[in-house]
Amino acid sequence: MELPPHQQARIDVEADVSDLLGVDNVPLALPIAGMGSRLLAASIDYLLLLLVITLVILIATATMNAGLVPVDWFWPVFGLLLFLLQWGYFLGLEVTMEGQTPGKLMLGIRTVGDQGGKAGMGSLVVRNLIRVVDVLVAVPLFFIDRQARRLGDHLAGTLVIHERLEHEDSVSLGRIPAGWSAREVAVAESVLARVPHLLPERAEWLAGLMLERLRRDDPDAQPLPDEPAPVALARLLDARRRVW
Amino acid sequence: MNYATFVRLRQGFWEDFGSRIDEARRHPRRLDYDQLEALAVDYRRLLHDQALARSRFAGTATSRRLERLAIEATHLLQADDRFRRWRPMHWWRVTFPAAFRRTLPAIGVSFALFLIAMSFGLVLAAIEPALGMTFLPPEAIENLRRGTLWTESIFAVTPPAVASTQIATNNLSVVLTAWAGGALAGLLSLWVILLNGLMLGAVIATTMHYGMVGPLLDFIAAHGPLEISLILVAAGAGLTVGQAMVRATDVPRGVILRAAARDAVTVALGCLPWILLLGFVEGFVSPRPELPTISKALIGWLLWSAFVATVAIGRVEQA
Repeated sequence: MELPPHQQARIDVEADVSDLLGVDNVPLALPIAGMGSRLLAASIDYLLLLLVITLVILIATATMNAGLVPVDWFWPVFGLLLFLLQWGYFLGLEVTMEGQTPGKLMLGIRTVGDQGGKAGMGSLVVRNLIRVVDVLVAVPLFFIDRQARRLGDHLAGTLVIHERLEHEDSVSLGRIPAGWSAREVAVAESVLARVPHLLPERAEWLAGLMLERLRRDDPDAQPLPDEPAPVALARLLDARRRVW
Repeated sequence: MNYATFVRLRQGFWEDFGSRIDEARRHPRRLDYDQLEALAVDYRRLLHDQALARSRFAGTATSRRLERLAIEATHLLQADDRFRRWRPMHWWRVTFPAAFRRTLPAIGVSFALFLIAMSFGLVLAAIEPALGMTFLPPEAIENLRRGTLWTESIFAVTPPAVASTQIATNNLSVVLTAWAGGALAGLLSLWVILLNGLMLGAVIATTMHYGMVGPLLDFIAAHGPLEISLILVAAGAGLTVGQAMVRATDVPRGVILRAAARDAVTVALGCLPWILLLGFVEGFVSPRPELPTISKALIGWLLWSAFVATVAIGRVEQA
């Protein structure tokens, strides 16, 4: 039985990936960070910056009141420090943390070059010094640009992507019935990967549908008596669960 | 090759490659040359597996796994390395002068527009002094009426070191904004050029009106020429970015934009140390009444010449 479209298992939906040509022109689907995660990361960073500036002011005031620093030198050093924080916070952190800031780290996103590699120092300098005008136009650009690039990204040739470093609990099939295309394989793998997370009756129903399809293509593939459908499906397709 | 055979034949390689990438990411400095070279060679094999999985077995777990491995390996093994090994001497002698010369036409336009705006401000404020006075705060006008420059009252209460830092950080912000403003199709850079020209012209005319142009020129002689030049150079660099955004060529816009932005940021960064130096001059030298105007003018000329020399003497052919 062919599954109706609304009941088909989701194969691989990535709403925000962008295909880019990498080495040897092999396309890579980079998981682009959208406006939400980027604005949230920026908000965290600006809050942190505000906190650091407040701390600097408190420490500086206490130091001056205690007479630890000559007044003539206090304000110049303090002024330079504030300037460096204002202009250098994002740049310094992205250079030392390889494309990340504390906000980006918390959201699991990273600035990379437009082929997915590490962004170079020059690119990071350009994208972060442009920030002063980007605060005016970044949000509309996030809407317009398919890869959610702000002005700094366009000029520097950078992208911000989700790192997706968490490992995926996945299932791959060891036996492929004759006549099955990648689509059937993908659906079966997807169903088997989801079985542990579904209600038992739902898992039984989904695996049962898949078994029906399997028996249509391979009449010898029969479940054992009283064997639950998910177990039968996994056995007949020699499915192996892997954490990648 | 069917899916099962593909997975069976390549599974071991993917697992081995994945574990080596994980290890390299955790301890990048432990990699020796041979390990890195092996990783780079295997990276290409993995990319080819990923391309095959993507075209023949799209949507499968294996395809997703290979995509993820490829992205992780790309980030680890690929880098835009043009700026990774920064050599300061090379930067000053080659990179900066070369970028400056490539940006020279836009810098020329910046100076020309500034002169036009300054002349306009000068003439306008000379004809109608009330217009010129709008560019100065009321306290400054009051000072002029009393026969003193507004700078004197500022430096009378502010220690030179403090004034110097304030001036330097303010000018650094102006230079960076003038450059970054190019990203708005050059409009903000243009605004910085025209406003500064108009203001300087109007201020000179206003001080002329009160017979105070001599003290004004005395004050700006040491730092003014280079300070204005640096702002105009940065704004000119911003104009090249604006030009790259709007000008139609047969090269992809992204490529032109990136090249223009690299040159522009190099020029703007090359201006920053001079701005710090000028902050010192403006805080410690310019306000000193005992220093004759000719000495201040000599300092100003030397500073300006030193800046021009850095861009003129650079070995552009190796850039």
